[in-house]
Amino acid sequence: MLVRVLRNLRDGVAVPLRACIDHASLLRMLVRRDLVARTSGTLLGKLWPALQPALQVLGFWFLFDIVYGMREQRGNDFLEYLLIGMLPWLLLSEVLTRSSGLFREFANLYRRTPFPVELLPVLIMVIPGVVHTVVFCGLAFAFHGPLAALQSLLVVPLLLLWLLPLTLLFSVLGVFLRDFAQGLPFLLMLIMYSTPILYFPDMLPDGFRNWLWLNPFADLVSVIHATVDTSTIDPNAVARLVGLWLLMLGPCWAVFRRSVPHVREVL
Amino acid sequence: MTRPIIKLAGISKYYRLYRHDFDRAKEIFTGRAHHEKHYALRDISIDVRHGEVVGVVGKNGAGKSTLLKILADTLQPSEGTMHIEGRVAALLELGASFHPEMTGHENIYLNCSIQGLGKQETDAIYDDIIAFSGVEEFIHRPVKTYSSGMFVRLAFAIATHIDPDILIIDEALSVGDGAFARKSFDRIMDFKRAGKTIFFCSHSLYQVEALCDRVLWIHEGRVRAEGAPATVVTEYGEFLRMEAPRAESMEVEAEGDGEVAEKPVTVPRVSSATPRIVDIAVSVDGHRARAHKVLSGHSTLDIAVSFDPGQGLPLASVGIAFTGGDGRILSSLGSVNDGIALKLDAEGLGIARVQLPKFPLLKGNYNIDVYLMCEQGLHIYEAVVQAAELNVEQKGLARGLVDLPHTWLP
Repeated sequence: MLVRVLRNLRDGVAVPLRACIDHASLLRMLVRRDLVARTSGTLLGKLWPALQPALQVLGFWFLFDIVYGMREQRGNDFLEYLLIGMLPWLLLSEVLTRSSGLFREFANLYRRTPFPVELLPVLIMVIPGVVHTVVFCGLAFAFHGPLAALQSLLVVPLLLLWLLPLTLLFSVLGVFLRDFAQGLPFLLMLIMYSTPILYFPDMLPDGFRNWLWLNPFADLVSVIHATVDTSTIDPNAVARLVGLWLLMLGPCWAVFRRSVPHVREVL
Repeated sequence: MTRPIIKLAGISKYYRLYRHDFDRAKEIFTGRAHHEKHYALRDISIDVRHGEVVGVVGKNGAGKSTLLKILADTLQPSEGTMHIEGRVAALLELGASFHPEMTGHENIYLNCSIQGLGKQETDAIYDDIIAFSGVEEFIHRPVKTYSSGMFVRLAFAIATHIDPDILIIDEALSVGDGAFARKSFDRIMDFKRAGKTIFFCSHSLYQVEALCDRVLWIHEGRVRAEGAPATVVTEYGEFLRMEAPRAESMEVEAEGDGEVAEKPVTVPRVSSATPRIVDIAVSVDGHRARAHKVLSGHSTLDIAVSFDPGQGLPLASVGIAFTGGDGRILSSLGSVNDGIALKLDAEGLGIARVQLPKFPLLKGNYNIDVYLMCEQGLHIYEAVVQAAELNVEQKGLARGLVDLPHTWLP
């Protein structure tokens, strides 16, 4: 039993990673395919994946700084707080939403060609991962200088690694629980509102704030903020995130692996 | 004796059936089985050696396609072990992984990557793929702008240029139409000549028998017979005739990869890229018509087929089949089979003439089908079904299909 749990834990990272190395050339072509699929027929073409988060930053700046005049809140730079929390959330939201339709989106590839399915969860992370790394580091540089930008280089890759179990799980749920894909946007919205992204944590009433540690996304946001503003990272938050990740990865990988033959039958 | 390049041991494939949709999710999340099994393939064991051409026959739904998909690694077996050495190219769903928004150039690299080729390996065959497919002019346009012919030509070119050790063919020995059909057929024959291992699944028993070294007959998911083509094909043919005389016999023989027309086609007197039938003349006792009264054992039947030989191709061959009212082939003859080299007439048309004296079929209604085929008698350029109708009458009360040549001894 323990051996199986440990093997699943190892395989959850090792198999997708090995697939990326073994099929590096294929992954490169699939990323290109993904880029073409997302941008074909548009005037700005391949600029769009980068423009989208950049325009969102611009939109938030206009709304909160210019319209609401909320740059300063309780002695803190609210716009900075908002953007540093919101950008990773947008990335998380994009990856998880897409993962729920992963098997359907790529059905043509793995049903009709000898295709390594374990590449798919990684594939959908590549373009948003690269784009968000660039935009996020740019923001960190603008707000806190080069050291913050350097530290921020780790944020997106680590966030994506943390998301891997959820990506595996959501891809299966998206096929076998059709309601899941329908309810996912609402679920993500609920999580976002219950996570201190659009507000400072100390704006929450005490009754809620005391239970915030139960929300892993609140831990994520807190660690990200601390990484960018080079303040002290809460070790408890890190421990909870790592613990949860270790707990999720093995079972999520086992479910993903078990689901593959079913997916081929169902789709 | 070389060791097997393909080794299947006890391979089965079943599909899971559930009472409720939710049971499947329960099974995935708990790891506990909640399904009943429906076997599409059961306990298949076979060793295939390098260079063997293995035919797979069986009725629709017998499990042939499942077997081919397992060999092509697009379907995982549920039970058993499988060992395949070397690269496999499957002509199953050509262009399935093409992305319509990507250019032909990009799709070449994408497809080659899926087949396990690195960039340098793809670079090495890139020009050959383009030259073979003939889509050079459009190679930097999205494949969604390609005609279906261009699409399949590019997909075929990619599949066959990755230097596979094993080629899997489902049904057609050629793809596309016109000159490319012949070109693709030649390409497949090149694989055979090069000693590649080929799995060929077809309803065309004629092609299976002509091409394969060994034949597997799959019936209801199991191997019902395996062995020499002549033996297995005969056995399977008998089975089909017993099971569903009309439907299957038509299925068996009508599925060529050439164009099938109901009447002779008159083509312009300009030499075309691929051979075409120009005229079929069927005469009985010197009178040409499409429908004839024939006297069994007395009438002389003459069949003359003239054809445009096409450009730059070896001279085609001609096959003639006599079919009953139920579509079943009663007898056939072919220039290749008889070792006859056809010739061109003064106008440059290919000519095939054959005479059948004392027409031996007994009373009944029969049709004559004419096939224009490649010089090997495998690839069909054109088929004319019911080129002529024969209404055979007879003297005497002999029963059966044919009057066997015989002599009563004193």
